[in-house]
Amino acid sequence: MRIICAKWGEKYTDWHVKNLKHMIDTYSGIDYNKFEVFTKNNYNNMYNKLEIFDTYKDDENIYFDLDMIIYNKVPNLKRKGFTLMYDWWREPYHTPLNSSIVSWTNDISHIWKKFKSNDQYYLKKYPHSIDEFYFKEIEYNTFDKICYSIKGHQYDKEGNKDFSICTLGQMQHLMEKGWNGWWTEYFYS
Amino acid sequence: MLKICTVYFEGFYTPDYVSKLYNSLRKHTTVDFQFICLSDNKNVKADLILPYNHYSDVRKHWHKLKFFSPLFGNQQKNDDIIIMDIDQVILQDIDDLINWPVEENELVTYGQWWENKLGINGGFYKFKSGSLKFIWDDFIKSPEYWQLHYYNEGTVHKKYYGEQNYVKWKIIEHKAKLTKTPSEWLCKYTENYEENLRLNKMYMNKFNTDYMIMGDQVNDKIKIIHFTGVGRKINENYLR
Repeated sequence: MRIICAKWGEKYTDWHVKNLKHMIDTYSGIDYNKFEVFTKNNYNNMYNKLEIFDTYKDDENIYFDLDMIIYNKVPNLKRKGFTLMYDWWREPYHTPLNSSIVSWTNDISHIWKKFKSNDQYYLKKYPHSIDEFYFKEIEYNTFDKICYSIKGHQYDKEGNKDFSICTLGQMQHLMEKGWNGWWTEYFYS
Repeated sequence: MLKICTVYFEGFYTPDYVSKLYNSLRKHTTVDFQFICLSDNKNVKADLILPYNHYSDVRKHWHKLKFFSPLFGNQQKNDDIIIMDIDQVILQDIDDLINWPVEENELVTYGQWWENKLGINGGFYKFKSGSLKFIWDDFIKSPEYWQLHYYNEGTVHKKYYGEQNYVKWKIIEHKAKLTKTPSEWLCKYTENYEENLRLNKMYMNKFNTDYMIMGDQVNDKIKIIHFTGVGRKINENYLR
């Protein structure tokens, strides 16, 4: 099985990659044999992630964003078809989906091919997020509630025991040096 | 513990502004404190340097607001927090200022004697750790909105200004108490000769005293010179 993350530009650093790997190796219980960092930057935005599906077309794959807190043993995340999260913790706005965690087995490169065939059109049509593209253009499955959001929980004393993964969403600043909370002890140092 | 916090990023000012503030604070107060600088320069003079992130959604001096969160800067419950701008020079004992009492849900700021509709001065904020955390928590929900809000509505005339307006609004919205230190402690200085004359006259009339500042001579009441205003730097005479 393959774990994948994506890093481009300056927002995330090698520390963020090490941190994700550290949390997966230390807390998640996920048994994998390949850890891949996807670094192609053709669009300079989240749409870069779509080419991952054209790059890894065999085996079982789980993709993680770099702004996650993994603090306990995770449920089985392996899926056959294209599976991502739904944002149960917020109003749907333009999409109810969240691709911070994506799972698939073998070849789902049709997603990349569809986007690539008319990329400028899709970039203009769904400028807010890649998740809106998935929602409106792609067949998908969703995980059960496997993750929650740090929003409103940054002052908690510990991670929610009903979950093992927490997304920082728009609160990536909490990963910067100088911020401390219940999540700090799980991060790579 | 008292933490005095500031922000320095490369561009407009130079690192010696931080050194000057640090040294003058140490020289002019007997109060024990930790000096924290949020900076992109690892060599600024501070007890603790925290990294300034150029790639976040938070811009320039808006990083100051991070210190309103009790999760930032190793804050402990019951800490007193002071946030200061680096464009100021301390001239004499400031124990009265540093020790100014502050309660939960209260913000202490410089009193100002010149025309100022805003009624708040971002050069000095003092508060109890965490008691005003709504200032950061509300901001970080929509940083891009707030950082341009006061420019977009025409209240400020430079993009990404308006941090003081935002803090004032949040203090009002959350019904926090706003307290001002004696305004005669503060000197407003400008490089413009005519404007300086006008400010001196205003100060003399307001406090029935001698001039505010003339050459190297500074009125005894003045504790701090704050070089307020967009794009203003500390006069080199005072940076030595």
